[in-house]
Amino acid sequence: MDVEKEQRKIRVLIGKPGLDGHDRGALILAMVLRDAGMEVIYSGRHNTPEELVTAAIQEDVDILGVSILSGAHLSLCQRIVDLLSEKKAEGIYFVVGGFISDEDILKLKAMGVREVFGVQSSVKEIIDHFRQATQNMKRRE
Amino acid sequence: MYNKKFLEQVETRLNKWREAHKKEIEEAENDERFTEDEIPLRFLYTPLDSEIDFEKDIGFPGDYPYTRGIDARGYRGNLWTPSQYAGFGNQRETNQLFKNMIAHGNPPYLALDLPTQMGYDSDHPMAMGEVGRTGIPIRSLKDWEIIFDGIDLGGLYVGTVINAPASVILAMHIVSAENQGADLTKIRGSLQNDILKEFTARGNYIFPVEPSMRLVTDMIEYCAENLPAYWPICVCGAHFSEAGSNRVHEVAFSMSNAFAYIDEVLKREIPIDLFAKGFFFLMKTNHYDFFEEVTKFRVMRKIWARTLREKYGAKDAESMKLRILAHAGGSLMTRERPELNIARNTIACMAGAVGGIQLIGLKTMDEVFGIPSEKTQMIAIGTQHVVAYETGIPDVADPLGGSYYIEKLTKEFENQVIDELDHIEKLGGVIKTIESGYIKKAIAEDAYKSYKEMESGKKIKVGVNKFSIDEKEVPLKPYELPPHEEARQIEDLKELKRIRDNSLVKKTLSGLKDVARRPSGSENNLVPPIIEAVKAYATIGEICGALREVFGEYKEHYAL
Repeated sequence: MDVEKEQRKIRVLIGKPGLDGHDRGALILAMVLRDAGMEVIYSGRHNTPEELVTAAIQEDVDILGVSILSGAHLSLCQRIVDLLSEKKAEGIYFVVGGFISDEDILKLKAMGVREVFGVQSSVKEIIDHFRQATQNMKRRE
Repeated sequence: MYNKKFLEQVETRLNKWREAHKKEIEEAENDERFTEDEIPLRFLYTPLDSEIDFEKDIGFPGDYPYTRGIDARGYRGNLWTPSQYAGFGNQRETNQLFKNMIAHGNPPYLALDLPTQMGYDSDHPMAMGEVGRTGIPIRSLKDWEIIFDGIDLGGLYVGTVINAPASVILAMHIVSAENQGADLTKIRGSLQNDILKEFTARGNYIFPVEPSMRLVTDMIEYCAENLPAYWPICVCGAHFSEAGSNRVHEVAFSMSNAFAYIDEVLKREIPIDLFAKGFFFLMKTNHYDFFEEVTKFRVMRKIWARTLREKYGAKDAESMKLRILAHAGGSLMTRERPELNIARNTIACMAGAVGGIQLIGLKTMDEVFGIPSEKTQMIAIGTQHVVAYETGIPDVADPLGGSYYIEKLTKEFENQVIDELDHIEKLGGVIKTIESGYIKKAIAEDAYKSYKEMESGKKIKVGVNKFSIDEKEVPLKPYELPPHEEARQIEDLKELKRIRDNSLVKKTLSGLKDVARRPSGSENNLVPPIIEAVKAYATIGEICGALREVFGEYKEHYAL
């Protein structure tokens, strides 16, 4: 494990896939993560899964977090999971947040989404989760 | 508002009172309170706080500057209209829902799915997973006909939340009303058609700013000339609020957008009094800061009337009367203790009613869980009926008018809005502030501030950061999209494309592109060729696709 990697800030891409334009949550989260010392990139709205996965790889992020409030999470996340695996980028920790029912949380986790955050999740929980997840990833390297 | 002698008497009396209650008053004053917009609040208001010019600032309902309402009779003439935003992913189910809602005095106010709002058909790759999720898919006139099957479009007000492809929905409304034999000069309805706020707050834009403004102008012009009872534009502050902005920004950003549209229409030398009455506003009506919410509606009417008369030279009173629709805030509804959302909606409804507005839409108690079920929609309409028929609020016009507190707050809120409007003007106008990212950044910062206040407990949300109770997963069941609905919608679309006259579709689309390529102007209004395409059952994806070819698309760039 080299020193540079050890001290590197956690890099996060916050994305808005699909047609949903509501980005209040995504923007607040991006600002909170930034203030917590992470490097955060915000994709802007209306991205295809292809665009997000390509950007995540090019930007060398540790975490790809997408926000979906429209109800299209199952199809969009499946596509992102498939693309991450196709491009051998399963190392990118992929999470999703939005209006998601308990039933769909199980489906998302089964398809390979690492964590699902809902409207009731606090940002502290999300920050802690991101730190823990990147620690674990480093340990495995 | 009061004469000098009276104020001196009050002051003497006030000083005595302060002396007698010194300790309590000090205690109350040390407990500082502010509204959401940082307006400091005294704990008591007296005539000394009301430095108001009665004639100029308040006046009478139905009279300029309309602070007290646009109708001299208050609600004794017309009660506000319940305007619940609704629509299921399936057109036939929506038709039934609308019939039930109309029977309860709630005209249709259409929620569309995202592909429709973005000008994509259900079979477009970008539509994957989104079909029927947030509302009704309307691809062609066929869908519109199913939704309004058995519903008379003659005198019914039909609102549709549609922006970038608004011209296509307008065309569908016109063609179907015509097919039903309705008199077009009497048809009532509204589009949202407020594209500027899409760039900064809501995100459902398609074309770049310039052609987007052309489309808006075309619709305003077309309606002014052909559909005098129609409201072609609903300028929205609500979406700024939902995106997190404070109230001053909600009002200033929406009003400066409205003035930008007016400036654009005036470039075509259309008289202001011919089109200004086609404007109305969609604002938030929130239960937070109830009194400030009431002042917001009063202030908006006043600023609108003054600007229309003084800046734009309007002479017709109808141009100066601001009609307001307000919705309770979806973002304020909670997943925790969701029954309390009914209480929040009740208070939101009261704020709108006391504020004297024309249309009110509440959120449903299951808003946070998904698409509202018919049951919770009917609870929301019933909540409005309780406020309308059981409280006596509609009996008296502007019931809070003259309150020392309300009048003072109205003045202070107005000053803040005017400062922000001037600031936008100094930054080069609204289009510049959209392009520079000023507006988007202001909203994001407001949202962040309000979020931090919630996190720190300074702002309280009952059941969320205070007064929580342990509860099992909530039994609310939102509307469920029938399984395989997306596939069925795609099949429907295939069937339509098989049976319609495809050569006519092609011809009308190429006619539309020809007009779109010509410069913006009255002689190149895009509404008539869009009506021709809709008549031929061209789809929203095909029509917007044709315009995408000519105009290109807007791409957002936002740096944190």
